Amino acid sequence: MNLEEFIENFAAQFDDTEADQFTADTKFKQLDEWSSLAALSIIAMVDDEYDVIIKGNDIISSDTIKDLFDVVVNLRG
Amino acid sequence: MSQLTINNVRIAGMSACVPAQVEDNRTLPIYKDESEALKVIASTGIERHHKVEPGTTASDLTVKAVERLLEDMGWQPDEVDCFAYVCTSRDYIAPQTACILQDRLKLRNDCCVFDLPFGCSGWVYGMSIVGSMMSHGTLKRAILVAAETNTQNRNQRDTTVRPLFGDAATATALEFDPEHSRPMNFMYGVDGAGFDAVWAPYGGMRNPVTADALEEKEVSPGVFRRGVDMIVNGMDVFGFAIKRPPRSLKELISTFNIDVETVDLLFLHQANKFIDEKIRKAIQIPPEKTPYCLEEYGNVTSASIPLTMVTRCQDKLSGATQQHCLACGFGVGLAWASMEFYANDVKVSDLVTY
Repeated sequence: MNLEEFIENFAAQFDDTEADQFTADTKFKQLDEWSSLAALSIIAMVDDEYDVIIKGNDIISSDTIKDLFDVVVNLRG
Repeated sequence: MSQLTINNVRIAGMSACVPAQVEDNRTLPIYKDESEALKVIASTGIERHHKVEPGTTASDLTVKAVERLLEDMGWQPDEVDCFAYVCTSRDYIAPQTACILQDRLKLRNDCCVFDLPFGCSGWVYGMSIVGSMMSHGTLKRAILVAAETNTQNRNQRDTTVRPLFGDAATATALEFDPEHSRPMNFMYGVDGAGFDAVWAPYGGMRNPVTADALEEKEVSPGVFRRGVDMIVNGMDVFGFAIKRPPRSLKELISTFNIDVETVDLLFLHQANKFIDEKIRKAIQIPPEKTPYCLEEYGNVTSASIPLTMVTRCQDKLSGATQQHCLACGFGVGLAWASMEFYANDVKVSDLVTY
């Protein structure tokens, strides 16, 4: 699983935030566009692209996109 | 896989009752402005819901729905052999509400009555339980109620639930009828590891009610709850709902060799539009075959599938042409169930208001 591709997939869930705003270190919950709906879009994207279901707590305990990437890597085993 | 086929039983009638009071999400006092409300509406598809006055119970709505059903069916109360009450917002901790309803509805003293405390999967589960009992042939007529007052066991200052949930009661009349019935097929599912995705932690035997459990606390910004209030962890429910129900429907389709092209109607538990559309697309049923009533009534948990049938498909279900239907209920438990059935010449009553 590739971090850059994960960041691209992550960024694709947002309409108003420029793609260059998304890096491994982006604290995604601090983005203006972050919302509960964005969280659901991320859960759906991870299910579609990586075939695992992340929990609400996984999002709550992740600060950066890299943190969430690590969660998905772990879940995929 | 646990699967079930039931023969000799058909849906003969359906009715529903909703409280008169309507709460519109655009004007809820929990939002700072209308744009916040519109965002929630856009993401859930839920614009408003009906809400009981405090003191009105699901069983009160049920009496109205069942009386209307019996009248429209031409059934006398003493002709009902079995009465099942799917509900979690029960009147009392004890006894079962179905017992009280036997008296209120003037059902026979030897009627087979029971509560089924399911949530969102309850109508499908209930159809399989009642249908199965009837298929033996001695219980000829049954009523399956799915009713809930979701606005009363959730905190009105909890922004994560108030815009989403509504109140309703529905009644489904089932008849033993070998001549005019076709098999009903079911698949079940459960994941108890997710029990705390939708739950009320206090008030049962594990965590009895204490003074502290009745105190309202701000658990996160804008979200107020008491220990006895229902908690819905939206993200976990979402993760569950986009995975399990589509898989369950696909299992149903493959196990019973269902040709999806021949399906006329898909009835999904009205959770929210975002979730339901993902499920619909996963099994490739076109939108025009997938009716919704959540925009008007919100998520009415176990009542949501029958309420959709009554309010959106009265003509189709009451017509002579057989409708090939799929349904999937999913939620609290976590539990889910899918079914295939056929319906035609169903006496569908006009919606009753309480």
